[in-house]
Amino acid sequence: MATASETTLVSAPAEGATKWWTRFLDPSERTLAVLLLLPAAFLLALIIVYPVGRLVWTSFQNLSLTSGLPATFAGLENYALMLDDPVFWETTWNTILITLITVPGALVVGMILALMANLPFETKWPTRLSLLIPWALPLSFAGLIFAWFFHSEYGVVNDVLRRLGFEGVIWFNSANWAFAAICLTIVWKTSSFMALIILAGLQTIPRSLYEAAEVDGAGRIRQFFEITLPLLKPAIVVALIFRTITALQTFDIPYTMTRGGPGTSTATLAMYIHQNTVDFLDLGYGSALAVVMFLLSMGVTVVYLRMIRAKG
Amino acid sequence: MSSVSFRRLEKSYGSLRIVKGIDLEIADREFVVLVGPSGCGKSTTLRMLAGLESISGGEIRIGEKVVNKLPPRERDIAMVFQDYALYPHKTVYENMAFSLKVRGVAADEIKARITQAAEMLGIGQLLERRPSQLSGGQRQRVAMGRAIVRRPQVFLFDEPLSNLDAKLRGQVRTEIKRLHQAIGTTIIYVTHDQVEAMTLADRIVILKGGEIEQVGTPDEVYNSPASIFVGGFIGSPAMNFAKGVVQSGEIVFDGGEHLPLHRNGAGKANGLEGREVVVGIRPEHFVSAGEGQPLSGRVQVVEPLGSDTLIHFALGSATLTARVAPEMRPQPGEILSIGVDPSRIHLFDAATERALN
Repeated sequence: MATASETTLVSAPAEGATKWWTRFLDPSERTLAVLLLLPAAFLLALIIVYPVGRLVWTSFQNLSLTSGLPATFAGLENYALMLDDPVFWETTWNTILITLITVPGALVVGMILALMANLPFETKWPTRLSLLIPWALPLSFAGLIFAWFFHSEYGVVNDVLRRLGFEGVIWFNSANWAFAAICLTIVWKTSSFMALIILAGLQTIPRSLYEAAEVDGAGRIRQFFEITLPLLKPAIVVALIFRTITALQTFDIPYTMTRGGPGTSTATLAMYIHQNTVDFLDLGYGSALAVVMFLLSMGVTVVYLRMIRAKG
Repeated sequence: MSSVSFRRLEKSYGSLRIVKGIDLEIADREFVVLVGPSGCGKSTTLRMLAGLESISGGEIRIGEKVVNKLPPRERDIAMVFQDYALYPHKTVYENMAFSLKVRGVAADEIKARITQAAEMLGIGQLLERRPSQLSGGQRQRVAMGRAIVRRPQVFLFDEPLSNLDAKLRGQVRTEIKRLHQAIGTTIIYVTHDQVEAMTLADRIVILKGGEIEQVGTPDEVYNSPASIFVGGFIGSPAMNFAKGVVQSGEIVFDGGEHLPLHRNGAGKANGLEGREVVVGIRPEHFVSAGEGQPLSGRVQVVEPLGSDTLIHFALGSATLTARVAPEMRPQPGEILSIGVDPSRIHLFDAATERALN
């Protein structure tokens, strides 16, 4: 096949009279492949390349809808502004902290849930369904439910604490407690997604490997570390990529639970982008912030993909 | 090394009885093959011995020890699985070393044992490879190596050759036999392939529907099948069966053909006058016309195999297959006159399907 396409490429210029459009009538595999890929490439350009390009372009502009002034080219001004903006640093740090706490948290809880769901229950649907429900709930809905759970007067969390003899906590008045409540909610909400991916990974491990390990003398814990965990690595990396990217974009849960308060102590980068673009209509600065978040997500993805490649 | 015994061994899943009270004594150093069609309970029996399935009733002993409730790791057995069950993320060396590491064997001892086993199996050059980099035959050898290094009391093989092509199967079969001769450990081997059973076993256990149909040496089960099932299962091409009635020392088939049972075969008809029987004749026990008891039928298909010829011919409503000399090439449609070695005729009760002679 390679020969056929090479022939086409080499012979075309030699026959000087050949019109460019005749290439599209050439049934060689390379031309055919390009033609078949074109619709998908066009769609991809429309929904990804154009918006991202437009975002980057806007980030180099002074474009505030409240000023009533036309957009002007600002170069790296928005980015320079960002470096001196304490709220940018605080919200970025909060975002990274949420990622560092909730991603491993959801991985551990998700792993436990997946191992439980993979137990040989005769009726599997109740465990599978209970895994799906938190995943299926909208993020803002989960945020509202947990805001009630952590309510200082009527919340179930304080009620349980008081029944156990502890004092109730005014969760949303303290930056640390509010942050803890948000992280707990995110772990609850996202661990089911981790569990689903890990469960799918668990089901690809042949039963005979565990049987061989049993005959070889390995107990349950040894089987987990010697067989389950190494064979789950690909599934775990995929789950981590998805979860980390969504953790970097955390918005709904802190927005519905604390609105970023007290102060901006629980605000995330996504909330700050939202505030600048939607509340303050400062599209230039908001876009620059969004570009930073995009680069963070890309950076994480590249690191994970390199990990997979190195493993392969 | 150790003996194994099953006493009234049973396995049920709910109301479904898979193994129905098996009694079997396997001697130390013996090579026993459990053979039978799918669903006969052979793999379940092996897995119960390994401790991978609980037992519903009866008793299993390895040596003098009752192992009914012992987990697999305490039974001192090693098993080769149908899909080999090699750990895909470990190298061949790590696969073989795993069980020894778990048991706390010193690193030097592990290395010595693996080197010895690898030499025996010819896999010394593969020790640093992962299972995905091995061919089917090499994986099979590694799986055996993993079992050998353990030096267990009993080796269990669960259809270990079923994933190999025909040529490789024959080769690995020979290696397994050589391995048993070299190490002499008790082996219990499960297969659905009667050729494997015949070539490997000291004794064959033929299972049907969760019960033992016959236990015997390969010669015994081939020459004296206890039932129609055993007669049909052991031997390739399969034994021929034709229904008939015993009349005056002869078998009269439904098409009217006669098969006299005089000379050596006369005794077989004693006391069977008027009884409906099934006659069993192995394809290789037909002889040329004039020798043995005469039989004739219309030739349907002729299959020359080079070393010999298979002739399929009609006898009443049955179709029989004869394995004859390669130069014998009758034409389809011809009437074939052939003889049967009377000492090799098997008679089965048509109702119970058990052997009569």
